Amino acid sequence: MPDIHILCIEDEPDVLDAVLRDLAPFEEKFTLTGAADAAEAREILEGLDPENDAVGLIFCDHIMPGQRGIELLIALKKENLQPLEYTRKVLFTGQADHADTIQAINEAGIDHYLAKPWEADELRGLARKLLTEFVIAARIPPLPYMAVLDGARLAEVIHDRNDLNETG
Amino acid sequence: MNRKTLIALVLAVAGFITALLLPVADLSTAGQITLGIFLFAAVFWVLEPIPIYATSLLVILLQVLLLSAQGPLAQYTAPATVQPVRVEANVWEIPATALTDDGSVRVRRNGRFQAVAVDVRETAADTVAVRSAELTEDSALARRARHWQAEFSPPSYTIFLNTLASPIIILFLGGFVMAAGASKYRVDRNLIRIILRPFGTRPASIMIGMMVITALLSAFMSNTATTAMMMAVVLPIIGAAPEGDRFRIGVALCIPFAANLGGIATPIGTPPNAIALGALAQQGVNIPFTTWMGLTVPLVVLMLVFVWFLLLRVFPSGEKNLALELTGTFETSPKAWALYIVAGGTILLWVTEALHGLSSSLVALIPVALLTAFQVVEKKEVRNLPWEVLWLMAGGLALGVAMRETGLAEWMVGIVPWGVLGAAGALAVFGIVAILLSNFISNTVAATLLMPLVMSFVASGMAEGFALTTAALTVAVGTSLAMALPVSTPPNAIAVSTGLIRTPDMVKMGVIIGTVGYAAVLAMAFLFWNLIF
Repeated sequence: MPDIHILCIEDEPDVLDAVLRDLAPFEEKFTLTGAADAAEAREILEGLDPENDAVGLIFCDHIMPGQRGIELLIALKKENLQPLEYTRKVLFTGQADHADTIQAINEAGIDHYLAKPWEADELRGLARKLLTEFVIAARIPPLPYMAVLDGARLAEVIHDRNDLNETG
Repeated sequence: MNRKTLIALVLAVAGFITALLLPVADLSTAGQITLGIFLFAAVFWVLEPIPIYATSLLVILLQVLLLSAQGPLAQYTAPATVQPVRVEANVWEIPATALTDDGSVRVRRNGRFQAVAVDVRETAADTVAVRSAELTEDSALARRARHWQAEFSPPSYTIFLNTLASPIIILFLGGFVMAAGASKYRVDRNLIRIILRPFGTRPASIMIGMMVITALLSAFMSNTATTAMMMAVVLPIIGAAPEGDRFRIGVALCIPFAANLGGIATPIGTPPNAIALGALAQQGVNIPFTTWMGLTVPLVVLMLVFVWFLLLRVFPSGEKNLALELTGTFETSPKAWALYIVAGGTILLWVTEALHGLSSSLVALIPVALLTAFQVVEKKEVRNLPWEVLWLMAGGLALGVAMRETGLAEWMVGIVPWGVLGAAGALAVFGIVAILLSNFISNTVAATLLMPLVMSFVASGMAEGFALTTAALTVAVGTSLAMALPVSTPPNAIAVSTGLIRTPDMVKMGVIIGTVGYAAVLAMAFLFWNLIF
């Protein structure tokens, strides 16, 4: 079972705390980490072990001091780091112009755009959906994640793949 | 290599070597080699340093190498032969080593050594004079009568390889191909919708409805795939029940339990059934599809009703009604129709075997050939078939063949003092061992390890009054009744993974079901199965 990380990048400490608190239920199966800016996020990502670690989900703010969110995500996509192969990415921001949005979708491979402010349930629902997609795409054995993620969807995958039978 | 692998390897090799060095007079060398393979496989199957289907393939490889006539061991250790020297009419001088303790010689005929009884006339230092009308000057005697190949003629390697395509494996292949088609065209999901509808919205009826459809599907498809699909359908439904309603636990438990029980109901329901049918076929007993169903369905129905009452009692629902929203339609493309007709026809032919006499394995080739011909099942689905389950069963069947051929099974049965227990007691012991063992290890492996023993126990005449079929069913059904732990069966593992049930809930219910099921199996064995055969 790989160690799957959820990385939240947000420069405002209050917002970061709120995000981490809202996502706490996922800590049962995932490693939840916060970073204050792009540089810190990079440091965390570079410290991962490609053999055992994978990043399932990145929540990234756009407007931050230093490298901005979209630029960080584009750079990461170009670098092709192994732990980031199947990562789902969410960009959240209160202020992004039209050009930023287009770039986020075309070049940074954003899966979802979340406008501030958001509800805790909305955030959790989104994380649940995207992490489920990640587990399926990365072909990680789904059984351990059924309780925390979308169990019905994962059950369907188990059925379709036909690879969990008596022979293990 | 991690520690678990190392321990398994050391134990397996130690078991293998011990079996070869064991000072036993009444077991042939070939039997000892088979015992070595048996111990090696048992350790690997239980500790699982490698996947259990890989162990099965190792079993077949070891048998081909060590036990077959074409294998290197038989090739390089061919026994030396000697011709008898005529002394007078029908009296021959032979080397003393060519004579066994019980006064016979081994004569090679058509490539196999056969025992020929002789009268010993005179014994010299290293020769003996024997009297026999069966010997001639051209007779080839084994110079050493105790040579392993003189005692046991290694069979052709094909008897081990053939298990990979034995009738029972083809029967399962037919089932797998139909299941692949059903899954692709969502027949299974649509059946759930149709069958569940008449059960209404009362929680108790919904539960028995779910159990009926689960058992029905798992009787023809894999228990695991059925459970996974049912969970995909059911999780949103029970998500609608209020948090904390104990009924949610009941529903999450009823599905794996019904799937495990449903597997008992047909020959293709679950792999242990194949091991039972394979072992019976080796003894010349062929059980038609419908006969199997006639013997097991009453037990399955009984257990389903019992489990339903049990779960309703322990996990009652606080709700009066539950909304069931199941949507979907049957596909009507030509390929979908081809699937409905071929699968329906196959099942019809299976359950009417008594009328037309075509064996179920022969019928199983129909969906394999036609569904691929109509491209209902395409290359992608063919590759996605659970081939490793077939290999697992083949390895089990091959081990059974060798244990019988070499006399190992008979010998192993002989070392247990069954006399104390009596035939009925012995059968009861086999049943309880089957249930206990398969709570911890794969049901198929438990059946594989026990089946050759229980079969030779009955065949040896020690189990007077018991039919081979009764014994095989007791063990096969017993393994399917093991559902006390999350690791007992993959359906249990899926159910626990949903997070709706805690392991203690499953253990409590599973132990009760195992105990009641055990009593029910013995009752069936003594009062029903045994009276028929």
